[in-house]
Amino acid sequence: MNEDRRPGRDRLAARQAELVAALVSGAPVPTGFDTRLVGAARDALLRKRAGDVGRHWPMLAAGLGAEWLPTFRSFAATRPTNGSLRDGWDLARELAAGGRLPGPAAEELAVREATWRYDGDSNPLPRRGPALGRAGGTLVIRFAGRVRVLRGGLG
Amino acid sequence: MNLPAYGVGIGWRPEISGFVAELPGLRFVEVVAESIAAGGPPPAALTTLRERGTVVVPHGVRLSLGGAEPVEPDRVTHLARVAELLDAPLVSEHIAFVRAAGVEAGHLLPVPRTRDSVDALVENVNRTQAELPVPLALEPIAALFDWPDDELGEAEFLTEILDRTGALLLLDIANVYANARNRGTDPVDLLDRLPLDRVAYVHVAGGAEHDGIYHDTHTDPTPAPVLELVGELCARHRPPALLLERDGRYPPAQALRDELDAIAAAAGYPAIT
Repeated sequence: MNEDRRPGRDRLAARQAELVAALVSGAPVPTGFDTRLVGAARDALLRKRAGDVGRHWPMLAAGLGAEWLPTFRSFAATRPTNGSLRDGWDLARELAAGGRLPGPAAEELAVREATWRYDGDSNPLPRRGPALGRAGGTLVIRFAGRVRVLRGGLG
Repeated sequence: MNLPAYGVGIGWRPEISGFVAELPGLRFVEVVAESIAAGGPPPAALTTLRERGTVVVPHGVRLSLGGAEPVEPDRVTHLARVAELLDAPLVSEHIAFVRAAGVEAGHLLPVPRTRDSVDALVENVNRTQAELPVPLALEPIAALFDWPDDELGEAEFLTEILDRTGALLLLDIANVYANARNRGTDPVDLLDRLPLDRVAYVHVAGGAEHDGIYHDTHTDPTPAPVLELVGELCARHRPPALLLERDGRYPPAQALRDELDAIAAAAGYPAIT
């Protein structure tokens, strides 16, 4: 880049970062923008994300029913996306930890935990060998490529 | 470069793959570039379409050409490989940014219409074109808000980018409608100011109003005013191809066929259904 363009480029980078932070991280709307319209864009973005996450985690979305959208919004409003698979996984784990994960969603999570290894920071990787997955009151055993779901009795 | 007159096409999505396969007159589709593995093979349904002569155009959504940062080389390489894999005559991307400072927005965001922004876009488009085996068409987006930093009018901004990069224009007529409706401006006025001879093809899509704001949803039917705008566009300069984008809440097949027929009628192209 031509060096006399550098200050303008840095200013553009900073303004773009401010705007993204306002839209996905809960930061204030940057100076000069129409707060109502940026707010509408933020809401539209959250609805779109909720739809995408719901497609990756159908039991999570269906299990929460009417609570799905508000639950996802409060989870995601200050959290930029890591992709729909991980976003739904993080939310399901958070709900499970708080004892708020509905039954079918607990099974969905437990199956994924038994099939994939997800450290919460990077993309999930397929597990090799036998594995256990646990969420809510559901235990999942994966052995020899088969997944078996056991419900209840786990305290 | 001008495309042959492909007429009316549709955005290929896995959910409507069966519907698309049964459109007898279909000559071109678009596929989201990031959904295709660069190493192949492409989805079998796309290969079948190609074998019967339907052109497949990769449409990128994650390059972030309008970002202040240089476009990521791996993403450009992917787009180029997908173009080769599908033997595409051209590819398209957006005049938008989708991430900043390493944070993903998860959506196409408007860039400010400033000189600095034009410079950043031109550099990124040039970097991309240097890697691509085929021409690139740039699509202006629907934006729910404008930047307070704007210095240029929309037509002036777009024309300068096209002139300095030699890129083609992918004109989304539904975005023209949405932006004009939300800004309270005349969409036909913008058509009169754009270099319509640079239009590679056109997007058509539906939307809906929420709380007084029109959203270009791609999950609602194409409204009548958008079809009227197709007519206004074609009266000035008929594009070689128009493509319906539908991205969810898919209607029954007959409704989708009717929508494709309505676009064909508005543009004066033969029905593909």
